[in-house]
Amino acid sequence: MKPARFDYAAPDTLGEAVSLLERHADDDVMILAGGQSLVPLLNMRMARPELLVDLNRIAELQYIREDGEWLAIGAMTRKRAVEESDLVRRRQPALLAATRLVGHPQIRNRGTVGGSMAHADPAAEYPALALVLGAELRVVGPGGERSIAADEFFKGYLMTAMEPVEILTEVRVPILAPGTGWSFVEVARRHGDFALGGAAATVRLDASGSFSEVRIVLFGVSGAAVRLGGVEERLVGQRPGDALFREAGATASEGLEEPLSDVHASAEYRRNLAGVLTIRALGEAVARAGGREPGQEERR
Amino acid sequence: MSVQIPKTLEDFPNSAPRWVGRGVPRVEDPHLVTGRTEFIDNVVLPGMLHAAILRSPVAHARIVSIDINEAEKLPGVIAVVTSDDARRWSHPEPTVPEEWGTHCLAGDKVRYVGEPVAAVAAVNRYVAEDAIELIAVDYESLEAVVDPVKAMEPGSPLVIEEKGTNVMLQRVFTWGNVDGAFGDADRVFTEKFRWHRLGANPLETFGVIAQWDPVDESLTLRASVQSATHFGLGRAAVLGLPSNKVRVIAHPHGGSFGGKGGTRGTDVTALLTRKAGGRPVKWIEDRAEYLTGGGGQAWDRHYEVSLAVKNDGRVTGLDVKLLDDMGATGEGFGAISTAKPLASFTGPYAIPVARYDLTIVATNKLPQSPYRGMGPPPHNCVLEQMMDIAARDLDIDPAEFRRTNFIPKDSFPYTIASGNEYDSGDYEAVLDKALALADYGKLRERRDQARAEGRCVGISVVSAIEPGVFDWNAYAIVGVQGTGVPEGATVSIDIMGKISVRVGFALEGQGQYTLATQLVADYFNVGFEDITVVCLDTHSAPPAFGPGGSRLGVALTGAVLGACGKLRLKLAKVAAGLFQMDPEQVDLVDGKLVAKGVAGVEMPMAQVVGTMLARSDLLPPDVDPRPEATHVWTAPGRTEVDEEGRAKSYLTAAQAVHVVMLEVDPETGLVEILEYCVVDDCGTRLNPATVEGQTEGSIAQGVGAALLEEYVYDEQGQILTSSFMDYLLPTVYEVPATKKGIVVTPSPFTPLGAKGCGEGAMHTTPAAILSAINDALAPMGARATEVPASPNRLWTLIRAAQQPAAGE
Ligand SMILES: Cc1cc2nc3c(=O)[nH]c(=O)nc-3n(C[C@H](O)[C@H](O)[C@H](O)COP(=O)(O)OP(=O)(O)OC[C@H]3O[C@@H](n4cnc5c(N)ncnc54)[C@H](O)[C@@H]3O)c2cc1C
Repeated sequence: MKPARFDYAAPDTLGEAVSLLERHADDDVMILAGGQSLVPLLNMRMARPELLVDLNRIAELQYIREDGEWLAIGAMTRKRAVEESDLVRRRQPALLAATRLVGHPQIRNRGTVGGSMAHADPAAEYPALALVLGAELRVVGPGGERSIAADEFFKGYLMTAMEPVEILTEVRVPILAPGTGWSFVEVARRHGDFALGGAAATVRLDASGSFSEVRIVLFGVSGAAVRLGGVEERLVGQRPGDALFREAGATASEGLEEPLSDVHASAEYRRNLAGVLTIRALGEAVARAGGREPGQEERR
Repeated sequence: MSVQIPKTLEDFPNSAPRWVGRGVPRVEDPHLVTGRTEFIDNVVLPGMLHAAILRSPVAHARIVSIDINEAEKLPGVIAVVTSDDARRWSHPEPTVPEEWGTHCLAGDKVRYVGEPVAAVAAVNRYVAEDAIELIAVDYESLEAVVDPVKAMEPGSPLVIEEKGTNVMLQRVFTWGNVDGAFGDADRVFTEKFRWHRLGANPLETFGVIAQWDPVDESLTLRASVQSATHFGLGRAAVLGLPSNKVRVIAHPHGGSFGGKGGTRGTDVTALLTRKAGGRPVKWIEDRAEYLTGGGGQAWDRHYEVSLAVKNDGRVTGLDVKLLDDMGATGEGFGAISTAKPLASFTGPYAIPVARYDLTIVATNKLPQSPYRGMGPPPHNCVLEQMMDIAARDLDIDPAEFRRTNFIPKDSFPYTIASGNEYDSGDYEAVLDKALALADYGKLRERRDQARAEGRCVGISVVSAIEPGVFDWNAYAIVGVQGTGVPEGATVSIDIMGKISVRVGFALEGQGQYTLATQLVADYFNVGFEDITVVCLDTHSAPPAFGPGGSRLGVALTGAVLGACGKLRLKLAKVAAGLFQMDPEQVDLVDGKLVAKGVAGVEMPMAQVVGTMLARSDLLPPDVDPRPEATHVWTAPGRTEVDEEGRAKSYLTAAQAVHVVMLEVDPETGLVEILEYCVVDDCGTRLNPATVEGQTEGSIAQGVGAALLEEYVYDEQGQILTSSFMDYLLPTVYEVPATKKGIVVTPSPFTPLGAKGCGEGAMHTTPAAILSAINDALAPMGARATEVPASPNRLWTLIRAAQQPAAGE
């Protein structure tokens, strides 16, 4: 299990990296971040780039900052740094919860925030989190910098809106607004595995206790993380309750398109899971919106 | 005077033994934890090449042609081998059952995904892997045989055409009047079970460096090999070499659990070094190779089991029908796993009669290999499920049901229906201790309380036997020859009084070097720092098999103590000469040679040894002047098998009771273990810390078996679990913290009364977890009969139970 031959460059600055990509626009170039997804692909010879551009020396891409209503996170920031960040814990607890579900400490020591977004695995936590929170992703390329909303960024199974010559530089996550309830739940066969399915939700309640805002995202159950727009619309204006959650769960389950099927779980299982997780996520998010910690912690 | 092997510590020539029986720190560990253990991949020889193996991407196909031209031209490539070389320089792999093997490189056709087709030796592994991509193989695809039931049907494609059938073995063994027992039973219970393919996954895969000597046509193999002698004999046979021309240097290795295999890869590597003119060639099996083409797959079983029961709760007969899907050939020796259940067929129960209807079938999958427990774990699992099914139907508590059927403690040695003899035991004591440890009454209250809250919680109380100290005769029914497995040790003292123990097996992780050190330290009354244990190659080691079949702790104790005893006699004789006394008047006491009853006449061992070494001319004529002795131990009293496969095979029978409580999430099928209690009796604990380590590790593997681990093949015979993303091993998060208790019933048949305990909880844990799941599912009328009990499987069962109409 050794990779095929490739050339290797490790620029010290973002500028150098961008111009390298520009110079090699016609070659098969890949970016190396934490390597937790890419290196296995290289070793199995499923990825065979001619040139590997390693971003690990670019210090300017590693930071977590508060920027107005946003947390700005450099693409090369390790997940472990997110997990240990006081700022993240205070400003966006959903990000912390999602981070803790990504693999194991060893993986989080190396794996980066940008890498998970750019890789866009259907069962990965970060794309789902970006969708539910309405994150923005900044990329630079030969044409300069642009900002892409999460809704536009993720294009399907392992696909994003980035051009091959572009580099993801920053992930911008909105700070949790007071009164917003959130949830991030998943089911995995083992602690730290990619999820068989997961759900992320944020909710806001109006003065009468009805939903004024709901966002729900499912991941791991189909080819890419999906926002449940239809379910969200039906919930707004309604008072939270078990019957309503069950109805939302049933809608989520029935509406799931092309559920994944693999050695771990059938499409039927994942369709069921979509409903179960929707119900659990709504329950947790509503509890938090009401200032309570959800009583039953997710088991995995 | 013949050599005496101590039966207890009191028999040691030491008034204050301080090592044996204690959980002393292991002598192996400082090297391991500082990264100084010489694993095979650390070894670099001058001029060494690296091998890569081209493996079949398809399950069943005819090989039309192989073109190695481009590969040979790649700079850095030194040798390429194909089936032409295999046919020139080797024979088909030895197998169980016999003559179900092929050459180490596929010739006319490939028979499973991952089968070696060609191999390259190059200056490094990168170039070698580049080169195998340049080998062009033209496959003409054949229909794959994947389902063992269909494989038996007439007209099925054949895995090995020359055999004329895919059935490798079919036999029914009947022990006693089974039909009578079932006819007289008040109730008969029957259930089918499916135990899916799983297996060993040691931290280190297999690795070898092969070096051909073209001058005297001999082969040296440095390898992470479990049983060097056995391995070397096999390689000599395959490679057509005299057995004394194959030298095996066993390296410490990172576990095996039966998965070290490596035979076929070694034979391929041997062809490479020969073709490369004798340059050493290293082949390190990578994890993908291991998972798809290595020694890691075992036990792919379809069971139908019946139990005959009386209304008073006595089990009067057991009928087990097993169909095992062995994969493409018998080269992994996996079939011995279908034979070993005879060593403990009826578990800890006095079930007087039994039948075993055994069928082994070839399919286009990786050949099975052994795995920790060697076959009984699935057998125990299905037997324990049947015990629960019967107990539930009779409305008897599962613990009491088992108590009723236990072999009574006054009936040992006890011969079970399938012919093996259990040495000793006190099963009720183990049960009582386990129930107390688990606080069984309270546990049931907690379960019932949880159920009242609508939760899906279950408890199990199961028991199983661990046969210890394997013998070849246990596998006679699948064609293994012979009786008796030797283990030898040489104990030698130098002129400074320091002691070396020389053995024929490398470190594997179970702490046997520590055990040897404990025994010698107490025997000669010296410290750990005075003793070194070394592993010799197969040209110089005493006869040895090494670890396997829960034997080495017992066998090594016999070998080391036997050698110590011989040395004691020798030293006494020499000292008697120096004291000018009769040898009977002199003995070893507390590490000194002492004249019995004559105060002040004594001599340190080093002085006696010095005399032996320097003045052999002064020694009595019948004394061999080397201050060392070798003893080779074999299990006493083993017998030939009779026509129904019965024999005294495994020497010891350890027993355990596990009590488990767990919760199933009915919405997701996930299982969470809430309580895990284990009490076991493996006789005298020579090193309790080692035993506990074995228990802990085997519980982890049992959890993996019950809930996670499964090799999945699709209908074309393609393997879908070729990485650890998909073949799921338990991690620290999935393995429960356990409460442990012990009972000690020494074996009357072994040195110091120890019983084999290396397979440990693997025999019991899968049964315990599946039983607890079934207790959790029982209120809703569902029953899990498939292992692993994955979330998908459990959820499917639960859903079917909740919506009976939609369920079917
Ligand atoms: C055992 C194990 C368990 C895991 N479990 C989980 C899990 O539960 N959940 C989960 O989400 N992930 C999991 N992962 C994946 C892990 O989170 C990876 O870190 C992540 O998928 C990729 O991040 P990386 O920094 O390692 O990127 P790399 O592997 O280096 O790159 C991944 C891809 O993204 C591209 N890329 C990376 N950075 C950039 C950038 N800045 N701009 C443009 N393209 C870029 C690369 O070119 C490559 O195609 C697991 C990994 C392992 C090995």
